Amino acid sequence: MNTDSLEVRGLTRSFGDLTAVDDVSFTAPAGLLTGFVGGNGAGKTTTMRMIMGVLAPTSGEVRFGGAPVTRADRRTFGYMPEERGLYPKQPVLDQLVYLARLRGISTPRARAEVLDMLDRLGLAGRSKEHVEKLSLGNQQRVQIVAALMGAPRLLVLDEPFSGLDPAAVDGMVDLLAEHTARGVPVLFSSHQLDLVERLCERLVILKSGRVMADGAPDDLQRAGTLRHRLVTGGDAGWVRGVPGVHAVDVDGPVALLEVADDAALQRLLATGLERDGVRELTPVRPTLAQIYREVTA
Amino acid sequence: MTTTAPTPTPTGTTAPDEAVEGTRGAWLVVMKREIVVRALNKTFLVGLLVSVAIIAALAGFMAWQGSKTDSFTVAVPAGDATATAAVQAAAAVPETQGGGAELTTLEVADDAAARAALTDGDADAWLHPADGSAGGAGDAGWVLTGEADPDSTLTRLLTAGVAEETLAANAEAAGTTAAELTAGGTLTTDRLAGDAVDSQTLFFASFALALLFFIGALGSGQMIAGSVVEEKQSRLVEIMATAVPLRHLLAGKILGSSVVALAQNVVFAAVGLAALSFTPTASILPSLSTSLLWFVLFFGVGFLGLAALYAVAGALASRTEDLQHTTTPMTMAVMGVYFLTFSASGTFETVLSYVPVASVVSMPVRVLSGDAAWWEPILSLLVLAAFAVAALLVSERAYRGALLQTGGRIGWRSALRSAA
Repeated sequence: MNTDSLEVRGLTRSFGDLTAVDDVSFTAPAGLLTGFVGGNGAGKTTTMRMIMGVLAPTSGEVRFGGAPVTRADRRTFGYMPEERGLYPKQPVLDQLVYLARLRGISTPRARAEVLDMLDRLGLAGRSKEHVEKLSLGNQQRVQIVAALMGAPRLLVLDEPFSGLDPAAVDGMVDLLAEHTARGVPVLFSSHQLDLVERLCERLVILKSGRVMADGAPDDLQRAGTLRHRLVTGGDAGWVRGVPGVHAVDVDGPVALLEVADDAALQRLLATGLERDGVRELTPVRPTLAQIYREVTA
Repeated sequence: MTTTAPTPTPTGTTAPDEAVEGTRGAWLVVMKREIVVRALNKTFLVGLLVSVAIIAALAGFMAWQGSKTDSFTVAVPAGDATATAAVQAAAAVPETQGGGAELTTLEVADDAAARAALTDGDADAWLHPADGSAGGAGDAGWVLTGEADPDSTLTRLLTAGVAEETLAANAEAAGTTAAELTAGGTLTTDRLAGDAVDSQTLFFASFALALLFFIGALGSGQMIAGSVVEEKQSRLVEIMATAVPLRHLLAGKILGSSVVALAQNVVFAAVGLAALSFTPTASILPSLSTSLLWFVLFFGVGFLGLAALYAVAGALASRTEDLQHTTTPMTMAVMGVYFLTFSASGTFETVLSYVPVASVVSMPVRVLSGDAAWWEPILSLLVLAAFAVAALLVSERAYRGALLQTGGRIGWRSALRSAA
């Protein structure tokens, strides 16, 4: 069982005057899926390249299992770069075995493992085909196999779900779950916030090279501004006069409110009951998309 | 966790410690792939076959050209013994003196018959006394008439034949013999140094070596640059960089492409030598083989350096389209070597035979001409090896610096700086 976590400390990278990644620190704990979220140019790819040692950091360090990451460590990491590509004119199986051999896996072992994974991703029987003959989605699956083979101790996946159909996403999620079950930390970036919300046990939100939020989605949601939905018997315009209550939106009997504290909430309820009656008063958990918009605003 | 039960094989259950063998053999894995992928490349195979066919055809043409003897039919006046003797003397001129032609005589009854023979093509030329009298010419001499101007080789041979016959006749009239008159008047050629390789063969050999170098260096060089940028453009190199040190990747590529380039040249050289053995020039085979061995050795060492530089050219590019630009200096150098070496001679050639990369062609040519002392190729090879080592060292650094940089073309300086 793997118990090593990935730890990023004060990672910074400048390109000339531009600081693409600015003092980024976070942890991708062992056995958890950590989602890496941020807009275009937020610094996700640059951070991942530094974690993998493809790009040298200007300052800061990457630690794995409590110690600075070594070349030998990285050799056991599975990596999926942002821009996909393989040898277009080489058969699928041949090049996957080649990549496995570079990581020191013996040929028979690599073959068995690759064939098994291709099978699970629905590519059985296509192992002899040239990569350029495959659809983009299928090329993506081959790339996934390249990252996952050889029992990696850490997975760093840049946009692994982009271009996959829903069935392939599910297959991919199952595969990743096997690795987290082994205790492997998985760090993946994505633009699909709903997917991240569904999958991630941990979330790092990046904006302009800085970490804006970092934690379990639940915690982030709790930490986010809690809102209440109020449905009254008549027009709810009166809520604007209640002290400690900020009306975000009022539409006839329905109001979306930010309530300062419990006293204000009691005041709101009492006032409502006095007037047209209260049909509904519920706390509204912010969605990840809302949190994202809030922290990156 | 070392689960040894292999069935069922759940994804990724290779124990981590098993997955990490040393990286030491990584270059070998890379080299094998380079060789296999390239050797199975259709373009490469077709090119190889076409080249082999061209070499064989060229040698075949030379063999045919060499074995071919000129043959002429010369019309002579019937009963003119002097004319017949002159033709026979012309036919007797040995091959080494530009003779070796097959001459037959056709006796014609009179001038009209002779003209008819020329017009009908039965005779190539008509040898007859200038004053028209049969049975030997007077002081007016002889005339060779053709339908158009007579063939130059035939004219040259018959001039000699007629002169010889006339000399013999005049000598006899003066009471002596032709042999006595010409005694001590022969001229033979000699050389101070070297083997018996004539300048024409030498030119052809230097042209062939320059071409071998050109095809091998440019073809394999472009291939290595292409394969580097292919990996860079597709980001495959990022995956590989996390698995093996980049210098292993470079070493594997250089060695792989060198093996292919060298094998290709060995095939060409072998086919060329084999084909040459069927031609009249077979006598130069021993000295040519020695020269070719030097060439293969020089090429092997020189190409290591070239391949390294070509790999950097690939790494400096960001996409395949950039290659044309980044490989330009290399292409110019290789083409320069090609044009300079096969046309060089004298002191210039001696200098070239020590200048790295040009020496790959020039030194073996000098060995062939017998112009180089025994220690010269060795010294030149050491200079070439020094160049190759320097190129490898600089390239290794530039390759590491450029390979993981993305976005546009990268300059040598920036590549070398980022590798720090």
